[in-house]
Amino acid sequence: MMTLLETTAGSNVKVTNLDSVHALVRRRLGDLGVMVGSVISLRKTMPFGGPCTIEIKGQWIAIRRKDAGSILVEGV
Amino acid sequence: MIKLALTGNPNTGKTSLFNMLTDSYEYVGNWAGVTIEKKVGMLNNKRGQLIDLPGIYSLSPLSRDEGVTTLYLLDETPSMLLNVVDASQLERNLHLTIQLLEYGRPVVLALNMIDVAKKRGLNIDVEQLAKQIGIPIVPVIARTGYGCDALLETSIQSSGDSGIAASPRRFDYGPVLEGAISRLEAMLPKELTSARWLALQLLEGNIPVLQKLRQYVDPVQLQACYVETEKLVQETGGIRLADYIRDRRAAIIQGWLQQSVRETKEQHTTLSERIDAIVMNKFLGIPVFLAFMYLTFKLTFDWFGTPLSDALDSLLNGFVRDNVSSFLDSAGAAAFIKAVLLDGVISGVGGVLVFVPQIFMLFLIISFIEDSGYMARIATVMDKLLEGVGLNGKAFIPMIIGFGCNVPGIMAARTIEQPKERLLTILLTPLMSCSARLSVYSLFVGTFFEKNQALIVLSLYVLGVVVALALAKLFSFTLAKEEESMFIVEMPPYRIPQWRTLSRSTWEKGKGFVRKAGTFIFGGSVVIWMLGYSGFSGWNVPMNESFLQTIGSVISPIMQPLGFGNWQAGAALITGFLAKEVVVSTMGIIYAAPTDAGLEGAITQFFTPLQAYSFMVFILLYVPCLATVGVIRSETKSAKWTWFSVIYALIVAYIIAFIIYRAGLLLGFH
Ligand SMILES: Nc1nc2c(ncn2[C@@H]2O[C@H](COP(=O)(O)OP(=O)(O)OP(=O)(O)O)[C@@H](O)[C@H]2O)c(=O)[nH]1
Ligand SMILES: [Mg+2]
Repeated sequence: MMTLLETTAGSNVKVTNLDSVHALVRRRLGDLGVMVGSVISLRKTMPFGGPCTIEIKGQWIAIRRKDAGSILVEGV
Repeated sequence: MIKLALTGNPNTGKTSLFNMLTDSYEYVGNWAGVTIEKKVGMLNNKRGQLIDLPGIYSLSPLSRDEGVTTLYLLDETPSMLLNVVDASQLERNLHLTIQLLEYGRPVVLALNMIDVAKKRGLNIDVEQLAKQIGIPIVPVIARTGYGCDALLETSIQSSGDSGIAASPRRFDYGPVLEGAISRLEAMLPKELTSARWLALQLLEGNIPVLQKLRQYVDPVQLQACYVETEKLVQETGGIRLADYIRDRRAAIIQGWLQQSVRETKEQHTTLSERIDAIVMNKFLGIPVFLAFMYLTFKLTFDWFGTPLSDALDSLLNGFVRDNVSSFLDSAGAAAFIKAVLLDGVISGVGGVLVFVPQIFMLFLIISFIEDSGYMARIATVMDKLLEGVGLNGKAFIPMIIGFGCNVPGIMAARTIEQPKERLLTILLTPLMSCSARLSVYSLFVGTFFEKNQALIVLSLYVLGVVVALALAKLFSFTLAKEEESMFIVEMPPYRIPQWRTLSRSTWEKGKGFVRKAGTFIFGGSVVIWMLGYSGFSGWNVPMNESFLQTIGSVISPIMQPLGFGNWQAGAALITGFLAKEVVVSTMGIIYAAPTDAGLEGAITQFFTPLQAYSFMVFILLYVPCLATVGVIRSETKSAKWTWFSVIYALIVAYIIAFIIYRAGLLLGFH
């Protein structure tokens, strides 16, 4: 069990838990197709603790690092 | 009258389609949340109305703009729904389609962006998909107009259909939910047509639906039903109610797509990724943005705008003025009429019109940022900085739009989810230097800072942003601070803006400026000229004894410490509240009267370079213009915040102009 932030950029992982993500962010992530079981990957991280981008099925999303750090994932 | 409503996820091309089908021009841009209010247009074939709505992911709104769409569906009954989906992101788009099918009006699917899908290697069997979902699907490319005629035809046909298509679709949500839905349905009065849809939306946590149902049913009962269902779902499935509903829908969509969509290409690095490697680079992100801004002003001033604007100036003040003058002479016009036209209208309106080239150039660049896909990237690059002052990266989007004009900028703040962050953004967007202020800068930098025009103007834009950030920090301490900040944006692929879109969008923005010059500023110039022509001793007094001088003198002593204590500056500032360009008209009228040396020559007698800079800083910050104050009022719905926005700006402008002027003097500038 690891968080999305601990994965190597560009590698596909499967979401296992989103419970500790900010509630509204979790809703939006769901709207964009990021749910438990989705396959996503971490792409870029901005400097100075800024946001990071994730990719799901060709769609790119930027979220804060804190939220990315609360997405639990496992390797696929 | 047939009413077709455009619904779909954000940034799927609804407005592009609207423009094609109604032959109009509404605001298009490549990021999520461009359209923020309802727009109605007449279909090309005059058979009915088309309604463009803000994009939504689901019918439960998170932000203001999304609420507009939900309320539209709750309060009105469109003849049919035209569901625009992005073919390259079918799966997530279809979640909304299911909710629309449940709503109970005929739905036609516009499968947009098939060009993008094809490039991605997605092979969509349209016929098969239409059979699966059970509604007509028309592939289109809203950008080029491909398929639009067929879409219109199909839509009109199905809007006349009152049979099966017009009744709500039922999808099975499993025993627990079905039980809750029937209980809720039983509570609702018979006259509500789409009871099942309302019940489901309520269970999804849709706030506007809850508010509507409260009118009919005891809120306590509704609440009890929701809580009970939530608990049951949690117990049986170990998952949240909203997630459960989403999962059920995902399963239905999987079923549809399995048989109709095939991926034929391996994913590889896209062009968007390569561009992002530069513009969102760890170290280059913010520098690239600043360089882009600098380039903007270089283009606007040095390379393109100013030369054209000079040519326009000599045309207006030479050819046009001479001809009008000789025409009036030959027509035997009274001296009074001649003075109104030459010294009032041509000096006032002409003074503003000469800056049209600069302003169009700026609008062209803003349109480019909007339509390329860079907007969401800037928001991301800026997020950390903005988080530090109590905002989020999305607040930068209204601010960039505000560089063109503050009014649409403030309205764009509707897409910000958290109320406090939205309020802060509304209050601070007026500090973004808009195109009207650009005309004031153009006048002054052209006169005093000929060598460094772009740099001086860039410094003012940056100053506006820095002051906004500092104030955000200050205000977020004092305003409600319990709310937790959030940030999430969808990053669309880059698209090369079409020349047609760019030119239309530049013209739509610039048109307002020209129109304002022809109406508001025209009228204002006549009034200002009259004030300068009359005084306590009667008509045709010297400018120095006019009412204008009296008015300007009231505030000039207050402005003395800032370096521009002359009555002319005072008069320009007061009239500038109407619209910031009026500052230029007023100066044109005041200074044109006594000398023939031209406006630029005249102002050098009244300002030193440092005083001019201090004056520009004051103009940048001092009060939002009348139109902006109006939109602050309507967006905040609060007189208190409206007053606040005017008063804080005055105070801040005074303090900062004071510091800059005094520091400049100490450093030996003059
Ligand atoms: N390649 C391609 N681009 C398209 C197509 N349709 C629209 N676009 C582009 O997609 C972007 C979004 O278009 P809009 O019409 O503003 O989208 P919208 O759905 O109204 O967006 P919101 O108002 O934010 O919900 C623009 O940059 C369009 O040029 C299409 O069929 N193909
Ligand atoms: Mg739109």
